[in-house]
Amino acid sequence: MIKLLKKVLQVGEATLKYPFAPAEVAPGFRGKPVYNFEQCISCGACTLACPANAITLSCDLEKGIRTWQLFYGRCIFCGRCEEVCPTEAITLSPEFEMAAFNREDLICRADFRLNKCSLCDRFFTPAKELEYVLSVMMQAGLPEPEIANRRALLEVCPECRRKVDVEKMKKAMFAPLE
Amino acid sequence: MITLKQELDASQKQKLLELKLKLLKQIKRSVYVYRVDCGGCNGCEIEIFAAITPLFDAERFGIKVVGSPRHADVVVFTGPMTRSMRVPAIRAYRAAPEPKVVVAYGTCGCSGGIFHDSYAVWGGADSIFPVDLYIPGCPPTPCATIHGCAVALGLLQQKMKGEHYVEGAGAGAKLKFPEVPIDLRKEIEREARRLCGYWHGKRIAEQYLEFLREKDLQRIEQKLDAFLNAEKDPRLVEVYLKIHRLYVAKMERSGRQCPERLNFTS
Repeated sequence: MIKLLKKVLQVGEATLKYPFAPAEVAPGFRGKPVYNFEQCISCGACTLACPANAITLSCDLEKGIRTWQLFYGRCIFCGRCEEVCPTEAITLSPEFEMAAFNREDLICRADFRLNKCSLCDRFFTPAKELEYVLSVMMQAGLPEPEIANRRALLEVCPECRRKVDVEKMKKAMFAPLE
Repeated sequence: MITLKQELDASQKQKLLELKLKLLKQIKRSVYVYRVDCGGCNGCEIEIFAAITPLFDAERFGIKVVGSPRHADVVVFTGPMTRSMRVPAIRAYRAAPEPKVVVAYGTCGCSGGIFHDSYAVWGGADSIFPVDLYIPGCPPTPCATIHGCAVALGLLQQKMKGEHYVEGAGAGAKLKFPEVPIDLRKEIEREARRLCGYWHGKRIAEQYLEFLREKDLQRIEQKLDAFLNAEKDPRLVEVYLKIHRLYVAKMERSGRQCPERLNFTS
């Protein structure tokens, strides 16, 4: 008996102090994904990578709003969104205290403005993404006039671009005949 | 027998909520938890059992897992609501005396999780039952389980909050490592991920790119040497050296010394 008590005193208390003291998590623990709205360009890479479809994108082409949504109640904490994010807008944190009474409290939502096509005047691409693409081109060393050219090109929606191209080709092909 | 979500109207829901709060306030004994596995992978069960071991010891808060729904004050649903477990889950739910607290446990319990679009899955526990508390996690760690139980019993405050951002006329996204040429950065990141997987690879690449902020190859090597001398893991040293060799080879190929001139056209 005394032997046992001695051993117990030696070993001490094994129980963690949590929740009275913060719990330590293992290095590399994948907890709650934290969203950084400043960095997000709503490119949608995470929505494609997310195996559980916890991250979704939806577009309202009438109002010109693209909505990015993360539902923590569906997230499986695999970290693939972090892997694919080009701007580090989403990172997994060691946070694990995510219990919530409402489903709404488990949703993180972000609205982005869409740009209008310069030809047909319809919404088609998020403004923030366009700016980011151009700044990447600038970083890659494209000269200023070339960037202005590309901006003009990128502000046209794919449909209009196709129409313009067809017109150009038509001219190029049939001009010698006339 | 008023139980299922569809069978309640607003006033009954309100009444039930009051009863539940009364239960939690006036309970003078341990809170009995009954656990229903609706068809999950058993990860959540393992974590629940881990939470009641002496290491985490949920029982010191008077949370006790019981073997019969007849004893339950809290019914925990784990796993996605599968077609074949739907009826047993409803039976267990009805067997538990009112008022009871319903907890959706784990990502699958909250929403169906990764199985949400399966032909055999109804969704989360909230597709059938009026859920009082969601504990997300895949699976929730024992600490998250204890936190969830404490929140359900009103011992701790809920930490999660719904977020909604609207884009204003703010600054755009910042570029990562603007001083390092993009194609060089891409190659380094790819190599690091190829060698170490995405999680470690990303961190290793970022660490190496920090060194590249120095424009001069000698200074870069000095910094890298100092870092690698302090590093105890020989595998990690090898990875850094491999990435560095890649960088040096690229420098030599372009015949230039300065990384800032290695640009789009090269």
